Amino acid sequence: MMGDRFELVIVGGGTAGWMCAAACAAKLAPARFRVRLIESEEIGTVGVGEATLPQMKDFNDFLGLDEVEFMKATQASFKLGIEFVNWGREGDRYIHPFGTFGRPIGEADFFSYWIRANRAGTAAPLFDYCFPIVAALQNRFMLPVGDGNDVRSAFAYAYHLDAFLYARYLRGWAEARGIERIEGRIVDVEQHSESGDIAAVKLASGTRVGGDMFVDCSGFRSLLLGGTLGVDLEDWSPWLPCDSAQAVPSARSADFTPYTRSTRRTAGWQWRIPLQHRTGNGYVYSSADISDDEAAATLLANLDGEALADPRVLRFKAGKREKAWAKNCVGMGLAGGFLEPLESTSIYLVQMAIMHMLTLMPDERAIDPALPAGFNRVMDVEYDRIRDFLILHYIANAPDAPLWERVTTGDIPDTLAGKIERFRHRGYIEAYRDGLFGPPSWQAVFVGQGIEPRAADRLADVLPAATVDERLANLAATIADAAATLPLHADFIARYCPAPAP
Amino acid sequence: MQQVVVHGGGVAAAMAALAVGRAFSRLGTDIVWVDTGEAPAPHTALIAPPDLATFHRLLGIDEAALVRHAAAAVNIGQQFAGWSGGDHGFLHAYGDAGSAFASLPFVQHWTRARQAGLGVALEDFCLAAAAAKQGCTGAPPEAATRQAVKQGWHLDAAGYAKLLRAACKRADVRIVSGAGVVVRREGDRIERIHLADGTSVGADLFIDTHGALAASLDPDGTSARPSFCDRIIRASAPAFDPLPLYSRIAAHAAGWLTLIPLSSRMAIEFAYHSNILSDADAPAALAAAMGRAVEAAPPAPLVAATRPRPWVGNVVAVGPAAGVAAPLDGAELLLLQLTIAQIVLLWPIDRAAMPEADIYNEEMTGSRARVADFTAQHFRLNARIGEPFWDAARTAPVSAELAAKIDLFAARGMFAHYDHEAHVEDSWALVMAGHGVTPRSFDPQALLTEDQALMAEFQRQLRAVASDVLAMETHAERLRQIRG
Repeated sequence: MMGDRFELVIVGGGTAGWMCAAACAAKLAPARFRVRLIESEEIGTVGVGEATLPQMKDFNDFLGLDEVEFMKATQASFKLGIEFVNWGREGDRYIHPFGTFGRPIGEADFFSYWIRANRAGTAAPLFDYCFPIVAALQNRFMLPVGDGNDVRSAFAYAYHLDAFLYARYLRGWAEARGIERIEGRIVDVEQHSESGDIAAVKLASGTRVGGDMFVDCSGFRSLLLGGTLGVDLEDWSPWLPCDSAQAVPSARSADFTPYTRSTRRTAGWQWRIPLQHRTGNGYVYSSADISDDEAAATLLANLDGEALADPRVLRFKAGKREKAWAKNCVGMGLAGGFLEPLESTSIYLVQMAIMHMLTLMPDERAIDPALPAGFNRVMDVEYDRIRDFLILHYIANAPDAPLWERVTTGDIPDTLAGKIERFRHRGYIEAYRDGLFGPPSWQAVFVGQGIEPRAADRLADVLPAATVDERLANLAATIADAAATLPLHADFIARYCPAPAP
Repeated sequence: MQQVVVHGGGVAAAMAALAVGRAFSRLGTDIVWVDTGEAPAPHTALIAPPDLATFHRLLGIDEAALVRHAAAAVNIGQQFAGWSGGDHGFLHAYGDAGSAFASLPFVQHWTRARQAGLGVALEDFCLAAAAAKQGCTGAPPEAATRQAVKQGWHLDAAGYAKLLRAACKRADVRIVSGAGVVVRREGDRIERIHLADGTSVGADLFIDTHGALAASLDPDGTSARPSFCDRIIRASAPAFDPLPLYSRIAAHAAGWLTLIPLSSRMAIEFAYHSNILSDADAPAALAAAMGRAVEAAPPAPLVAATRPRPWVGNVVAVGPAAGVAAPLDGAELLLLQLTIAQIVLLWPIDRAAMPEADIYNEEMTGSRARVADFTAQHFRLNARIGEPFWDAARTAPVSAELAAKIDLFAARGMFAHYDHEAHVEDSWALVMAGHGVTPRSFDPQALLTEDQALMAEFQRQLRAVASDVLAMETHAERLRQIRG
């Protein structure tokens, strides 16, 4: 330690690096912690048009960012969920919302009543009982109202944003609060001879940057965690076979959706993320099933606005580092693991890594082993739960192309196989305390991709059928009426947080 | 499920029959309780955690009935005395371990202040603990602390069992006498059981608290657990006045002594290990610990066991048939209530195939393990150095989950959460801190609060606790109010 300050060095200045730096600026006392970030303008970052989860609002609130200023600075729009097109079967579509289905009726949960009425043929589609879905499909948006009895209170929202602009915005914010930025390319890493801990990194300029703790935000290269410390990637590509993506921006479309769209294609899936100044698009695919040229052609043929650049190719492998925190190094973002952006989890995982790292930050060079153990346990839970949820999207599909034949007949993790069987039997979904994707998310994807329960909780049979039908009909009508009162997403943005032309 | 049989006796069978009777007889399910007649052992009292008070609402059991028929006294925690040697004691109260502030759990600020020399115990910031010590309960009208004081019960087991049985009759549960039942297994299920009077009862689902049905389907299905003590003497003494709001668990050379205040008497459990103390010497040791002779039953065996697959085929083992926990931390009623609630939640929908069994077995094995961890921490963290019983208890193996919990709390005052946790974080914090674990470091975000502001906040919280306690009612007033 230099003097009595604990030295933290963040390696890499993409979205992950600057999110981490900003959080350190907000939450670590400068008298005790010195935080520096090394980045090189020679090295590009992977940031693409990013879709996020509602937790991102918590992160911004945690820093104390102003929502309007942040949205203007990042060309952001609002997001109420993800629309999945052609998932399940060609022509199907459903929305995975940031909200729940229905409202409490009696002793059972809403979903059980819906199963019962659906099997009797008296229910509307599940998605009609979810306010944010009904609003989203009309391209409408407003902030949730405070009154818990109003259906317009029952949802959360996330953002679509330009991740480059977000990193730039956070850089300014963090530098203004004392984070030191060092420009330079890392050419060597120095380790303590006995412990193997990282002692310093050396830059091309010859400068040596030493530290007590290193945060690896170097992207796919995983310079310190994977490279220097040799922490392997746990390979999940047998379950999640896509290994490539091409991204391209297009001109803003008149269809300004308050949701992300994911369209299943022959060799993978295509994303569409509406921002204020343009639309982000990309094709995530398995290179065994389509050539890069064909993928680019497919992507360009399926834009709803003029392409604003040539597609860029990215390569990756699904998985997570066996330990996200090894010795005195924490890996976050792509350096810690990669899961395709099908459920917009990338920024969420960075956020979780940052929050847990701050809480468990060592205060001396000799790191108490309980701290990394605690960190790795919670991050493993996060990754594993997202992994199973993503695999579910893959396996519940018509085997209508070679990729989809393979994923729908291959092995799946035991944890997931059990979940599917339990859901089919009686709509059962385990609720857990930590980690993403509670029961409404699983309900949306199961039902949306054609996996339906054969029976419901018996307690849903206590109310007479006519009462249940009446409550369901009233709820759908209330939601439809409430949704119609909302402004259009485009109008709301124009009034609330219009971004300047780039 | 057209036909359901509950097989067993005592509190467990009555509670199971009552819960499923109230939930499902209105859906046309016929519920028969084949009562095998086991009654709670003489002198037995039960420690009911606050979760049970909530469950009672579903069972339709009101507070007045508990006070009238089960000698109920309010329970807002357990005091552990002498577990670190000497007279030192602490309270595991059912409340908050201080009030969170500056967006961090109170424990983080407390750890920082301890490192700077603060001498105040964590429990002094807990309203429930302060109230319990001063004999006060209830909710203050305008709480300055905004802390919860959760309320459980101390219950006379025999009275409680009778009360549940009477409620079963009101809930359309048919009760038949069932001593000497003969069970014939058919494949992996049971279709009927045959009673001593020559009749038989068939069912789609059997809920077995007795154990004979579960054993016939899965004969080798139980495994022993560490019980810490292998003998117990149950006894009674006259009620204390005023009536304490907490039970007291005092460590002694060969085990522990539990005092459970009831409105009619003080129930006593004297647990010991026969390696250290013989049955012949135990009554004298009990009398010495109590300061006088007490009315006691003879020594009885104390076992701990668990059935990792409590639901096999169409038989669910519940209560004693599913496992016996060490008699600490209200584990018996906590687990009983969790298992019965889980059965109601997972009520099977198809008599021929019950995949609910796998879900149930995972849930209950998990809950049982986490509850066992909570109890095991007392032994792992005891500081009666140099006493053979306690030295062995300290070094006995613990689960990986408990080891991680203790390690992380000791390192940083944080919690390693696992699935199926049955005790809240604040309970863990109060108990680990009570056993003498002060975290070695704290969340650095705590440093954003200035020293002066921290001391002011601590003083504010201590004053708020004191003023809230003053506004609460006494235990006697509360019981009078319940009696009406």
